[in-house]
Amino acid sequence: MNWADRVIEKLKANRLEMICHVPDSVLSHIISQTEIDPFFTVVPLTREEEGVGVLTGAYLGGKRGILLMQVSGLGNSVNGLASLAIPYQIPFLMLISQRGELGEFNPAQVSMGQAARPVLDALHIQHFTLDRVDRVDTLLDGAIKTAYASNRPVALFISTEMVGWKTEK
Amino acid sequence: MTQEKLINRLEATQHLVDNAPEVLIVAGPGNAKFDLAGTGDRAQNFYIWNSLGMAPSIGLGLALAQSTQKVIVLDGDGGTLMNLGAFATIARMAPSNLVHIVWDNGQYQLTGGQLTATATVTDLAAMGKGAGIKNAVEIRSLSEFKAGLSTWLSEPGPWLIVAKTDDNPAPARPPKDTVQIKLRFMEAISAQ
Repeated sequence: MNWADRVIEKLKANRLEMICHVPDSVLSHIISQTEIDPFFTVVPLTREEEGVGVLTGAYLGGKRGILLMQVSGLGNSVNGLASLAIPYQIPFLMLISQRGELGEFNPAQVSMGQAARPVLDALHIQHFTLDRVDRVDTLLDGAIKTAYASNRPVALFISTEMVGWKTEK
Repeated sequence: MTQEKLINRLEATQHLVDNAPEVLIVAGPGNAKFDLAGTGDRAQNFYIWNSLGMAPSIGLGLALAQSTQKVIVLDGDGGTLMNLGAFATIARMAPSNLVHIVWDNGQYQLTGGQLTATATVTDLAAMGKGAGIKNAVEIRSLSEFKAGLSTWLSEPGPWLIVAKTDDNPAPARPPKDTVQIKLRFMEAISAQ
């Protein structure tokens, strides 16, 4: 089983039904597989901050979920996290495709990629990095457990060490 | 024909809660939530204290999670303009139980009355229609609001109601304990 199918299995096992996303090539398998699985409700967003709102509403209504995005999307989501998810104590998982680190070809990806963890640290949002396939189960289960125990969002970065870096087209 | 005066937010919000006392309401920052509080604090009110633009997104997530309950979003034109993408996402997901009401006074009232784009050129109902929300209407009077409300509450949506309002200030303020707002809102849902 590839890492993305393992992630989907863990989302199901932990009852994360609402999949909010702005597409990214690293995340494309998760998006396409959850779209055809009736267990999930998939919400394609126009901008990642919308997902903070949608997952807040879903949580109020009793459903858990995840925000899938590229690291740029974390930048687009900051006020939603700081003004909504944190003060209202709304838990969800963020699965973030890392850009701007190992093997990056695009100079415009670098700053947000490097700022991502300091931004989360400034918000006291815990984050972990998925860099090996054999760590998927532990990190997914653990991050979800921490999110719902602490009533806060938790972030998981997908490292290019695990999925490879994007090649320039 | 005499011109009927523009909608007053507080009067319209009062009419809404009088006619749907149990309905779940997500109220955006600024006067939408102030006037909702002015009709009386209820557990079914979710007050957004800061996140401009998030009201329709929260309403969408709630409507999808609680598909058998009507969900009302009350927001202003400033919040709507900040997250116009929400129109496209709502249209795409098409939750039939969502009613999105925009109190449109053409200004950022709380920050000194600076004009928004709706004061001159931008038509939010047309933008909603263009995004794919078929039931998008603009209304200008309380009588239109009263006449439409029973339809919006009973007929399948999603509905987008752009209500042209005056700029009377909202006197009331809701509670500020954000965690308490969340917890009692969730309790109200599970009790229904």
